[in-house]
Amino acid sequence: MVISHFTALVLFSFFVSVVFAILNREKLRDQMIYGAKVFLSFVGIALLLGWIMYPFS
Amino acid sequence: MTKRVAEEDERAVKEAVNPARLQVSSGNLFGLCLGAWLLPGLGHLLLGRKWRALILFVSIVGMFVLGLAMQGQYFSLGSGSYLHTLGYFAELSVGVPMRAATFFGYGGGDTFFVCSDYGTAFLIGAGMLNVLTVLDAYDIAWGRKP
Repeated sequence: MVISHFTALVLFSFFVSVVFAILNREKLRDQMIYGAKVFLSFVGIALLLGWIMYPFS
Repeated sequence: MTKRVAEEDERAVKEAVNPARLQVSSGNLFGLCLGAWLLPGLGHLLLGRKWRALILFVSIVGMFVLGLAMQGQYFSLGSGSYLHTLGYFAELSVGVPMRAATFFGYGGGDTFFVCSDYGTAFLIGAGMLNVLTVLDAYDIAWGRKP
């Protein structure tokens, strides 16, 4: 299976977010919100770090 | 399914969290943690959290399978590198899926494959998530979590 780096990042973030949400929150609504926050944090921070590293590439 | 999951969550939250309450005996606690390690989600299933067990199983095993599909590398103990040794234990933490993949013919990955590094990260990530799952099952059994 050949995927891009960004796709791998999104998939990895998705799976980790799902597990974190299940383990750290009890109610379904809280899990969904927390999982979404974790996922967006993963992807957003990765994109931010990518742009910070870009001038040095 | 959503309503049933919500009802299960409500029931779990309503139970009083008593730090001194041990839901299983100490002997069974070891078995619970061993089972949780061997099969992702089994610990939660044994504690009655069916939907959580299913989601954890699908997520962790799915992540592991994606790692195999990307030809992630299997580490070994005799590599001589500390990082590789840590990687071995990280991959071993996923439990039976690792041995099952070997049994069904997975040769340890192809390091020259273009996505092999991503696959290795997925394999290690799945193992680490299973460690968190085992610890969570332990906390639930001890009554530290609802």
